[in-house]
This record gives sequence, C-alpha cells and structure tokens, in this order.
Amino acid sequence: MTPRSFQAKLVYLTVAVLVLLQAATLIAVHFAGQRTMRDSIADELRVGSRVLDRILAVRGRQLSETVRALASDYAFREAVAIGERPTITDALSNHGSRINADTVFLVSLDGHVVADTLNSRYVGKRFPLPSLLGEAQERGEAAAIATFDERPYQLVLVPVLAPRPIAWVCMGFAIDEVLLNDVSRLTSLDVSLRNPGAERGDYQVLLHPLKTADGSRIEVLLQRSVAEAQRPYQRLELQIFAMSMLALIAAVIAAFFFARGVTRPLHRLSEEAQRIERGDYSTAVDIRQHDEIGKLAGAFNRMRTGIAEREEQIRLQATHDSLTGLPNRTLFFDRLSYAIADAKRSAGWIGMIMMDLDRFKDINDTLGHHFGDDLLIEIGRRLNHTLRESDTVARLGGDEFAVMFAVTDPRHAEHVAQKIESALESPFVLGGVSIEIAGSMGIAIFPQHAGDAATLMKRADIAMYEAKKNHSSFAIYEPGRDEHSLRRLAILSELRHAVARDELVLHYQPKIDVGTGRAVHAEALVRWNHPVHGKLPPDEFIPLAEQSGNISMITKWVLRRAIADCGEWNASGVELTVAVNLSALDLFDAELPTYISGLLSEVGLPASKLVLELTESAVMRDPSYALRILRDLKHRGITLAIDDYGTGYSSLAHLKRLPVDELKIDKSFVLNLRNAATDDIVIVRSTIELGHNMGLRVIAEGVENAEAWQILKTLGCDMAQGYFVSPPLPANEFRVWIGAAQTAFRSGGVSPEALS
Amino acid sequence: MRRLLLLVLLPLLSLLSTSASAATLVVDVRDARGAAVTEAVVYALPVGRQFPPASRTAVMDQKNRTFIPHVLAIQTGTAVRFPNSDDIRHQVYSFSSAKTFQLPLYKGTPANPVRFDKSGVVSLGCNIHDRMSAYIVIVDTPHFAVTKNGRTEIASVGAGRYALHVWYPEMKDAPPPVALTLAATDTKALTVTVRK
Repeated sequence: MTPRSFQAKLVYLTVAVLVLLQAATLIAVHFAGQRTMRDSIADELRVGSRVLDRILAVRGRQLSETVRALASDYAFREAVAIGERPTITDALSNHGSRINADTVFLVSLDGHVVADTLNSRYVGKRFPLPSLLGEAQERGEAAAIATFDERPYQLVLVPVLAPRPIAWVCMGFAIDEVLLNDVSRLTSLDVSLRNPGAERGDYQVLLHPLKTADGSRIEVLLQRSVAEAQRPYQRLELQIFAMSMLALIAAVIAAFFFARGVTRPLHRLSEEAQRIERGDYSTAVDIRQHDEIGKLAGAFNRMRTGIAEREEQIRLQATHDSLTGLPNRTLFFDRLSYAIADAKRSAGWIGMIMMDLDRFKDINDTLGHHFGDDLLIEIGRRLNHTLRESDTVARLGGDEFAVMFAVTDPRHAEHVAQKIESALESPFVLGGVSIEIAGSMGIAIFPQHAGDAATLMKRADIAMYEAKKNHSSFAIYEPGRDEHSLRRLAILSELRHAVARDELVLHYQPKIDVGTGRAVHAEALVRWNHPVHGKLPPDEFIPLAEQSGNISMITKWVLRRAIADCGEWNASGVELTVAVNLSALDLFDAELPTYISGLLSEVGLPASKLVLELTESAVMRDPSYALRILRDLKHRGITLAIDDYGTGYSSLAHLKRLPVDELKIDKSFVLNLRNAATDDIVIVRSTIELGHNMGLRVIAEGVENAEAWQILKTLGCDMAQGYFVSPPLPANEFRVWIGAAQTAFRSGGVSPEALS
Repeated sequence: MRRLLLLVLLPLLSLLSTSASAATLVVDVRDARGAAVTEAVVYALPVGRQFPPASRTAVMDQKNRTFIPHVLAIQTGTAVRFPNSDDIRHQVYSFSSAKTFQLPLYKGTPANPVRFDKSGVVSLGCNIHDRMSAYIVIVDTPHFAVTKNGRTEIASVGAGRYALHVWYPEMKDAPPPVALTLAATDTKALTVTVRK
C-alpha cells in the first residue's frame, strides 16, 4: 500500500474524517456533559435542599404527633396533674426515647421549666426559648428551629390539656449528624452544618438557611463533589472514546477492504494494460462485478480484442499486399533472410524466382485498373495453387511477383519455373474478357548465386531481364551478368527521366520514290544522348522501354517531335511525309489515335503527311485489339505501314485484313541484293508483287548500293531507304540535306548517286 | 399576660323586684367590644359570712359525645350525677385540684354521684373523647347563675354585702369582683364587661 495509492488515500481519508467527527463528538459530549453535570449538580443540590426541608417537615410532624400523644396521654396528664417531678421526668424520657427525641421539656403555663430530660438542668429556670412559648400561647402550639445549649434543635411545643391546658410540653430533635446523614444518604450529597472552611476545593455548594424562631442563624451546607459527579461522565466519555476507536478500526478495515475491492480489479486491469502494452492479447481480465468496475473490465476486454484485431490487421497490411493478400516485399525479404540463415546452418539450397508480367501496363491502361487488379489477384491464386505450401509467393509491387522455395539442384528451380509457366498458360477469363498473359522469370539460387537475401533478389531480377531480353519465359542467373545488367538497369531507371531532361533526339532518314528519285518520306529514328554512355541506338533502350512500360512515353515524345518537325518542313515548302515507328505496346493504347489527331491539328499538318510503321509481331500480339486501333488511325487519314516485313510469321490472309497502305521489306532481304540469282531476289520480287496485288506500296530498307537500287527499280519497288541514299541524319543536317535534294530534283538531276 | 378589666356600671334606672324579702340581680356580661359573653358564671360571695355547704344534686349529662351543660355551676357540697345518655361508653375524669376523680368507662348512670366539697373550677374531660370538655364551677354561695346570651338573673339574694364574681371558660385571670350592697327588695341590674 504505497502512500499515493487509492487504497491508502481512502483509508487516510476515512481515518481523517472519522477522527474529526469523533473528536468533535467527544468535545461536544465533554462540554455537554460538563454543562449537564453542573446543571444536574445544581438540581441535586436543590433536591437536597427540598429533601432537607421535607425531612425536617416529617420530623416536625413526627415530633408534633409524638408530643401531642404525650400531652394527651392520660397517665402523663395524671402525672403532670399530680405534679411529681421524677414521674414527670421519666414520662418525658420515656416518650422522648420512643421517637429518639433529643430533648423534652415540661413547661408550666407561666413559662418555667417543670421538668426536662437534660439532667433537670433547666428545672425551675425560665424556658430557654420564650419566643417559642409566646407563639404557642398565641396559636395553641409552636414548632421551630432554635439554638440552645449551643446546638440547633427542631422543637415542637404543645399544651398538655386536661382538657384545659395545664402545662406545655416541648420535644425536640437535635439537628445533628444523624439528620444530615439521612439527607446525605437520600441525596448523595455532602451535608453539614455550615462551618466556615468546610467548603473544599472542587465542590459545588448550596447553603440552605433554616428558619429559626430565635433569629439565630443556622445554615446547612449542601455540597457535591464535582470530581465524583464527573466520574460517570468520564466513564461515558471513556466508553464513547472506546467505541470511537472500535468504529475507527472497523472503518479502517472496511475502507481497506472496500478500497481493495476497487484497487484489486484496477491492479489487474493495469497489469492487463501492461500485458497489452507488451503486445500480449491472450488473456482476458476476469472481473465479474456488476458495477462500474465490471463495466470497465468489460470495456477493457472489448478494447483488448479490438486492439488485437486491429494490430493483426495492421501487421497483415505491413507484411502483406492488401490486394492479393500475398506477403509483400518486406515479408518476403524477411522470410528469404530466415530461410537463407536456416539453409546456411543445414547446408541447404534456396531458390527464388522473380517474375513480372509482360504487357501488364498496357492491360492496365486499356482494360482498366480494376481489371488489372483482378488479374493480379487471379495470378496470385494460381501461383499459390501451383506451389507447395512451404513455398512463399509474394507480390513485390506492380506486376512483380516473387517465389521462394527450397531446392536440391538448379534443375529443380527450372522445374518450378516451368510449373509457373504452365499455370499461367491457360487464358484468364475476367468479367467476360479472356486474356492471355505471359511472365518473364528470373531464377537465382542460394548459395550458388548469392550469399544473402538482398543479392539473391537482385540477381533473380537480373535473370528476369535476361529472360525478357531473350523473349524466353525464364532464365537462370549467370554469374558475371551483373555489369551488363547494371548498365541496363541504370539505363532503365534513367529512361523515365530522359524525356524530361530532353536527352532524346530525332534523326531522320529519307525514303526515295524509286520512280522519280524524289525524297517523299522521312523516317524519324530516336537516339538517346545519354550523359554517361553517349549516343545510344534504339536497339539498346527501346526494348528496355518496352519492358519497363516507358515506351508509350517515348512514342508520344517522338510523335510530337516528328509532327512538329514535319510541320516546319512543309511550312517552309519542303513537301515531305514523316514516318514514326510504333511499338507493339502502343497498339494497346486506345487513346493514341486521339492523341495523334491532337498533335496534327496543333501543328496544322494533314493526317496524310504522317505514316505510322509497325511490325508484324506487334500486330500479331493481339490482332483483334490492334486492328481496332489501326482502323481508327486509318479512319483518321493516317497512312499505316508494316515494318520489317518478312521476319514474322504472319499469314497473308491476316495481312490482307489489316488496313495498311505500305509494306516495308525487312533490310535483311535487301542488304544482299547484289545479283539476281539469290533467293532474296525471289522473296523481294514476290513481296513486291504481292504488295502491289494487294494495293500496297512496297518499300525496301537497307539499300546500300547502286546494284540494289537498280534491281529494286527493275522490280518496281515503290520506295527505297538506306545508306545508298542517306544515312539517318540529325534533324538540322537532314534539313540541309533535304533542301539540297529538293533543289536538285527541281533542277532535273535525279539520281541517288547525286543525292548521296 | 392580658389584664382583664371588669367594669361594673350601676344603672340609675329603677329595678323590678319579684320578692319583697329578697333582692334580684340582673347581670349582663359583655366583652370589650360589647358582645355578649355566654356561659359565664356569675356568682355573689357574701362578704363577712359563709353559707353552709349544700346537699343538693346536680346533673352533668353526656349526650352525643358532649357534656351537657358545658358549664355547670354548683354550690360547694353538691353531688353531681354523670348519666351517660349515649350508646357508647365514656370515661369522665378531672385532674383539677378542686376535685380529682375519674369514672372508669361506663354506660348508663353510675350508682354514686360525685360530691364536690371544694370550691374551684373542675375541668372535665373524657379520656376516650379528647374533644369532650365541660366545666363544673363550684362556688361557696347559693347565689349563682350562668349567662345565656350574655344575660342572667340571680334571684332571691338576701340583703347584705356581696362580692360579685364572674368566671367564664376562656378566662385567663379572674377579673376583680364587684362589691355590692343589697337591700331586701332591691332589684339590681348591672353589666359586667370582661376583657377577653
């Protein structure tokens, strides 16, 4: 019980209040007692006074009766009549002793003592109390208190009648100790004749004067010892004090137990709170009271379960992906670290697969985020079904998944990757839309590829990019790939900033009308002036941009730039059509046609001055969707061209359905077009014929010499492009070149040789 | 002690006489305020001579616990009978020096009357009835009477010198006697005033 505890406070408060109350009570009782006692003593004294009066009256009556009896006693009267003093004296003594009278006199009618019981001392003398006699003569009898012989007496004087008065008989009691003791006994007062100096210290007194016949002063002192009177009050006070002490002890015990009844549950609640503070939510407080504390305990328990539930939720959110419910990157990293630590001890192997989905961003953009979210959930589900329960499947963010599992050898890891691949093979049907999706997986194994979780994850990532680059579904990390990968990764991370930093530039390469020798088109080719790596060709960053989902941004930048440049050329009288390459992913951007129209109208360039080039494979990824976009673009008056024709596997029937205007023969067929005997000529010729038959213009790329030019001219190819005419040139150089070319054309000299 | 004063006024009015050979005294006894004193014994003692004792009988009856009469005057030598007319017994006594006697409890009339040979006042009492009281006044003269409503008459008083005495129950001191000289046929009316 610490001094500041509730229990101590309650006990102290109880004690303080009780002590105050009881002290007040005791003081009040004390003073009331004192007052009552004084009053009571005063009452007692008054009563004593009355008792004294009463006793005197009774004795007076007794005296009177006795003396009357004596006076009317025949024998006595006879004796008196006869006048024999010894007989009379004996009769007086005899009757006097019957009531213990202290003195009896027989007085003659003339006032002389005839006989007395005081050894006949007064015989023959005058009666010592003439006033009494006088009163008796007047009234027939007299009673009074008077002093003689230096003693106070209560006396009665009556006549002896025979039947006429023949003498007086006087009888008296001494007012002495016996009488006073009587009073004292009846009243419990100290009673004494007043005797100066008899009043002692602590006494309350009353002086009772007695009425005397002779005017002498007789006072009875009634006194009561205050100390004695106080005794019952002191006893009462002592009892009250004792009861107060008992009450105090009882109250302290009651307060102690009451407070404990309050503080015990509070202690338990506080302990429970500490347990909750430590994160232990397992135990409920068991307080079954129907009072406020019980309610508090109930609320406390509800709070505890509430906190536990919320904490579990928060913990889940902290460690799990809220969308798929799979562990997140943090938890995955933790588990991987633990697993590696375990594996280190047991010399086991841990494999991990990093996977991202191909084209996921486009799916998200075209089909909406909800669709994308549902897809991710479904993928998570399939991964979980495919793998063992002891394996961990995590979503690291976006469309990136990671899988961790114990392996015995690298083949096992590949097997897992294959299992995942086949799990994703069947199309996903979500909200009535069926979609096929593939993932690129990178495999890394501990301890073969890395000694810690962070490195292992990085290397799995590198392997994943490797797979992506190779268009394969998975790749195992190969030691030494890091450098290259790092550059790629750096490029990848910097790519998104390239546009903003204005690091991209356009080069243009003209396409020449083979018939007229006139430059009709200019193909825009993007270059990246990387601040560290220098000028990067599109081959090195466009696939990365496609993989990282940045291609759309780059495409849009190129479109804006190219359309702006073309607008300028046309405005300055150089009639040219600009050609821009679209990525496969661009064909999933439903907004693209609108965006392009916007750009054209901004610059004021007619749609016919724009050619969009796209590869066969791009169209083939999702032909139906691509077709919609292409039709839209076509509808807007934009010219469409199939790029790199001949490398893909598209069927001609399919090609026929596409709303394209031009066909670009892949440069691999054109580069070796030196003599007419090669297969390439057959392919080029048939392609040109086919294109023409389908109403398409045919363009040849990679024209690097005059022979190829001549052959193409012979074969009726519509346009040619390549180093034989002009390499891709920076915009400003191209502007100079085209100016010169057009001037030459107008002046009539038309030959590629002249142009180059 | 109170002093009693007896005033005798001799009226000048003629007195009526009933007998030619004897005088008659008519006496009024009054107190100081002039009120009649009843049951006062008025008696005339001869001066210089004595009457022989009487041998008559008088009666002091007891009826309804009362002596009747309350005051009985007799001449010395008279015997008094004490008949008891009540159903209850009485015990008559006297401690007076003129005659001390007692009649033990009795009913009816005791056989012997009590003879009073000595002049004086006998105070009678009954020992079982303290309230009963009577006086027998024994005088040495046949000329006495007891007042009724303050007045009485003593007839047949022979001529000669007399001292007229008055006694009454509450008397403390005897008033001085009044000297009278009576002629044979005098009828004297006088008033005695006593101080009570």
